[in-house]
Parts: sequence; structure tokens; C-alpha cells
Amino acid sequence: MADALALCLAALFSLAGMGWLALSLEVHWRQLFGRRAVLTAIIKSGLRLAGWTALLLSAVCCFIADRPSMAVLVWVMLLAGAATAIALLLAWRAHWLRVLVLRGGA
Amino acid sequence: MKQGFLRAMTWLHTWLGLVLGFVLMAAFFFGALSVFDREIDRWAIPETRFDPQPMPSFDTVLQPVYAQLKPHPDDMVATQKRVLGPLPHPDTMPMSSLWAYTTHRDPVLRVGAEFDVPNKLKDDADEHAHVHGWATIDPRSGEFLQDDKLKIGSEWYYPMHYRLNWSWLNLGYWLVGLAGFTMLVALVTGVIMHCKIFREFFTFRPWKRTRRSALDLHNLTGVAALPFHFFFAFTGLVIFAGWLYFPVGDTLLKPLHKQHEVQEAQRTGLPHEPAGVAAPLASVDAMVAEAKRRWAARDMPGEVGLLTINHLGDANGYVSLYRAGSDQVALVGQAIHFKASTGEVLREEPPPGAVGSINEFLTGLHLQHFEHWLLRWLYVLGGLLGCVCIATGFLLFVEKRKKQHAAAGSQGSRLVDALAVTTVTGMLIAAIGMLVANRLLPADLVGKGDWEKLAFWGIWSVALLHALVRSGPVAQARMNPAWREQCWGIAVLAVAAVGLNWLTTGDHLIETMIGEPYWAVAGVDLSLLTSAGIAAWAARRLARWEQAPATPMAAEVAHG
Repeated sequence: MADALALCLAALFSLAGMGWLALSLEVHWRQLFGRRAVLTAIIKSGLRLAGWTALLLSAVCCFIADRPSMAVLVWVMLLAGAATAIALLLAWRAHWLRVLVLRGGA
Repeated sequence: MKQGFLRAMTWLHTWLGLVLGFVLMAAFFFGALSVFDREIDRWAIPETRFDPQPMPSFDTVLQPVYAQLKPHPDDMVATQKRVLGPLPHPDTMPMSSLWAYTTHRDPVLRVGAEFDVPNKLKDDADEHAHVHGWATIDPRSGEFLQDDKLKIGSEWYYPMHYRLNWSWLNLGYWLVGLAGFTMLVALVTGVIMHCKIFREFFTFRPWKRTRRSALDLHNLTGVAALPFHFFFAFTGLVIFAGWLYFPVGDTLLKPLHKQHEVQEAQRTGLPHEPAGVAAPLASVDAMVAEAKRRWAARDMPGEVGLLTINHLGDANGYVSLYRAGSDQVALVGQAIHFKASTGEVLREEPPPGAVGSINEFLTGLHLQHFEHWLLRWLYVLGGLLGCVCIATGFLLFVEKRKKQHAAAGSQGSRLVDALAVTTVTGMLIAAIGMLVANRLLPADLVGKGDWEKLAFWGIWSVALLHALVRSGPVAQARMNPAWREQCWGIAVLAVAAVGLNWLTTGDHLIETMIGEPYWAVAGVDLSLLTSAGIAAWAARRLARWEQAPATPMAAEVAHG
């Protein structure tokens, strides 16, 4: 049970992390907040930091759930799945990602 | 200079990808299915729908099984071709070694044996004077299961993944290996060509022109799952390399290899040759208990995954017990060997060294015998992303050329497009159609497995014909309606398969999910329904594209 929880957390962290990293790119930021929205340097670096931290936390959760050899595989595959999921969300349900920055759209 | 290099890379990527993409597509798709091969077996052979079983008692269940096991008629025929003079009657051949193998997902148990052949061999270099026998049994009772029932998952989809079920001259193996190597080349050249990897990491714009959105999807599925693609192509080659591509141990270095075997036997204390003195077999169950005790003492308790006995009935005979690798990436391991006649421990294998561990990790991560359902599904996802990557690659090839080809009156893109339809939607139709045939054919039909194979190839050929017949519009730079029609085919067949499973076995989804949960069958049914849903959605989208051949520019502007 604890393992399943750790894996769920790992999946959530990798999704959030990939989401933040996507938003740190100007195109996707504008996709959410309008064409004229400005991504300031501070927000950008904040998003980057949050993104990488979340990915790291996702790895930690994987290592808590499984032995290291297995955890590496699970983590790498979770990242692949999360990146794809975020790209598909950006294509069809971009506004859902607003939840990541707790901000209404333009 | 840089331009020239880039052009060379593009050329390599395009043409290698096109030529071997068809093989690669099969390897990826059937690889993804093979992740759940045992579960597909359960779906296809309803009488084996019971829970996975541990290795049964040797002394009470397996010993009578091996007493009944005979050389397999198929291998009798194959062996007869290699020996001088007629083989003796199969019932009279003495069994010299045996094995039993199971994993945490197997309700049924696979067993096999080697039988000694007295005949001289035609080829001096051939040292394999054995006939094999094999069978699948119900480990709860020791009953033999019908031999001609095809395990569609592990005996058809899985071999399709690594050798296209084409055994002639091992060509299937070589083609898949070549495709794996191509995959590595395509990944490297693809990364070089794709200069905006990080900036466009999350980019997919389905509202743009077909060519643009196909390229987005091609890049996305290639890059996001890059580690998966790379490691699976690479480890696949590692697995092949050991025995197929560089079998130096059996050819160039044979004398050395033989000597090594003898030395190995001296070092490990496991006899290389029989003594020629008859000896009884001690209780194997006691050895299993001892092996489990020793594994537990090493802080890695587990079940027996592989059991082998060599030099059966001889004073030099020994029993080897391998621990099942459910909780580790490496396959079976931690072997403990016992003297067959007394049950004393001959040798407990030490943990592998660095190189051995890496090799075990690499092959294990590909062959996945571990118990980790999330990782299994993630592997399926990785495989399907690979399929999307290859399929969009075909689309790009055609989209880039079809206007020029149409203007020049060339049929090139038309043909490539028809082949792409056959390998993308046609392959799905063949795979699902085989399951439909499995449920439609009567259970007691003699040689049912052969009929199912025939159905698989037959349905696939029809898909090819259909794609070719309908390919006319491509020559006028429009879309082949076969894409849409075959998507509907997938949807209809997948729903039919689920319905037929319900009708013929009574296992409908409410039963297999809630009533008496049996996730192997429920999982196959749910996957079929999901495929049907996606195929129907894709078909409707394709219909819209067909009606509006020119991309709606307005939509493109609106989305920015």
C-alpha cells in the first residue's frame, strides 16, 4: 500500500514537474495566458526550479517504492509518460494547466 | 559543410527509416503486446483462466508428468534429418535432462526434457544428439493441456516481436536485428536533424497542417520516450548478439569454448559428463525447501522460477534450482545446485560480478520478468509511442512527396502510403482479427492454432489488398480512404472480440472486474474497447480531413 502511494506521488510529481517546465517556455505560457502575456525572468526561473525539483522528488518517491534497479526504470518511463501527457494537454486542454500556477486565464 | 552534413543525416534518416520502418513497426507493436503475452494467452485459452501457481511439488506432481512426457513429434522429424539411420521409437528413448519453468504470471507450467539418441550424427561438428519433448501442464493436477492450442500471446505475438514468425534461414531474427540497429541510427540522426529539441519539447499542434502536426507528433513521441527507444533497441541487440550475431563460442572459438566448459565444470564441481553409473533421484521437494531456506537466509526469499535436472538417473546427476526474478530486474538467478542422488548442496552460485550484473540488468529490463504492473503499462506506453513515431514518419514521407508525385504522375508515394496503411491499421486488424477467429473457431477443432495463424496472415493480406485498391486518391495528392475505413474495421473487430468472449465463455467485464475479478481477461477486454474507441475517434477525424483536403487556414490563424 505504501509502495502504491509512493508510486502515485511519483507520477503526480513527474506530471507537475513536466507541466512547470513546459510553462517556463514562452510559447506555452502564452498559450495559457494569452498572446500578450509576459513571462518575466523571475517567474521563468521559478518555474524551472519548481519543475526540476518536482522531477527530483518524483525520483525520490520511485526509490522509496522500489529497489534502485527497478526505480530507475520506473522513473525514466514516468518522465516519458508525463512529458507526452503534458504535450497532449497543451494541445487540447491547455487551460487545465492553469492549476499548476494557481492563476486565472487572460 | 554543415548543410551537407545535415542533408546526409536527413537522407539516412528518411530512407533507412522508410525501408526498415515497416519491420520496426511490427517489432514495436508486437513488443508492446508481448508485455502482456501471458494475459493474452488466458484470453485465448479460456480453460487456463485460473490464478498463477507457484512451482508445484516435484515428487508428487511433476515426477508422474515427466514419466509420461515423450519426444515431441515435431522434433522427431527435425532430428531425423540430422542423424544417420532411423531413430528408435520415441517411447524407448531415455530422458537425460529435464526442466520446468514458471513466472509469477503463469497459471500453467511449461515443462520439457531432452532424450538421448543412439544414432550417429551426419555432421561431425554437430554435438547435439538429443530429441526434445515439451508440454504445458496444469500445475494443480499435473494434467497435460491440449498441445495444439496456440498461446496467441506468448507463442504468436511474442515471436512476431523478435523474429516476425519467419524462421526460414533465421531471416526474421536478422531483419528485426537490422531494424533495431536502424532504430539506433534513426534516433541519432533524428536528434541531429531536430535542432529545437528543448524549445519544442512539449509541442504538438493538431490544428496545423497535416504535415506540421505529423512532424510535431513524430518529434514528440520520439524525444519524450527517447531513453525507452534507445535502451530497448540497444538491449534487444545485446540479447541477440550473445547467441545469434556473434556465436563465436560455437564457431570460431569452439575448441576454447569446450575447454572452458570442462574447466568451468571442474571449478563449480558440477559434472560435465555423466558417470555411466545408474543412481536414484533423492527427494527434490527437500532440495526446494533447502534452496528456499538459503535464499531467505540471504535476505532474498523467493519461489523457484526454473528447475533443471542434468544427467538424469546417473550418479553424476545434479538438480539446479533458480530463484524466480519477480522482485528484481534480472531474470532468474541465485542458483543452488544439488547432487541428484543424495540431495547434498554441490554449489551455491555467488552474486554475479560487475559485468555480469550489467548484462543481467540490460537483458532483464528488456525481457521483464519482474512483478511491477505500473512499469509493465509504462512499457506498453513506450512501445505505442514508438509505433506513433514510426507511423507519423511514414505520413511525413508521403505528405512531403505526394504533391510532387501527383504532378509528375509518379506512383511512389501512393505505394508507400498503401504499405503504411497495411503496417499501421492493417497490423492492428490482423492482431485483433486473430482474436476474433480464436473465439469463432470451435474449441475442439483439430489444429485450431494453425487456423488462427492462417486467419492472421489472411486478414493482414486482405488489409494490404484493400489499402492498394483504395490508394487511387493519393496519386492525386489526396488522402487514401483506406486509413479511415480500416480504423472502422479496427473498431468493429475489437468490439466483436469482446462480445464474442462474453458469448463463448460467459466472462463479461462486470464479471471479470467486479463479480470474480480476473484482471488478465478484463485487461485484454478493456484494452480492446479502448482501441475501438480511439479507432472510431480517429476515423471520424480522418473523415473531416478527407472532406476538406485543403487545411482550414482559419482554424490555424485562430489558434495562433
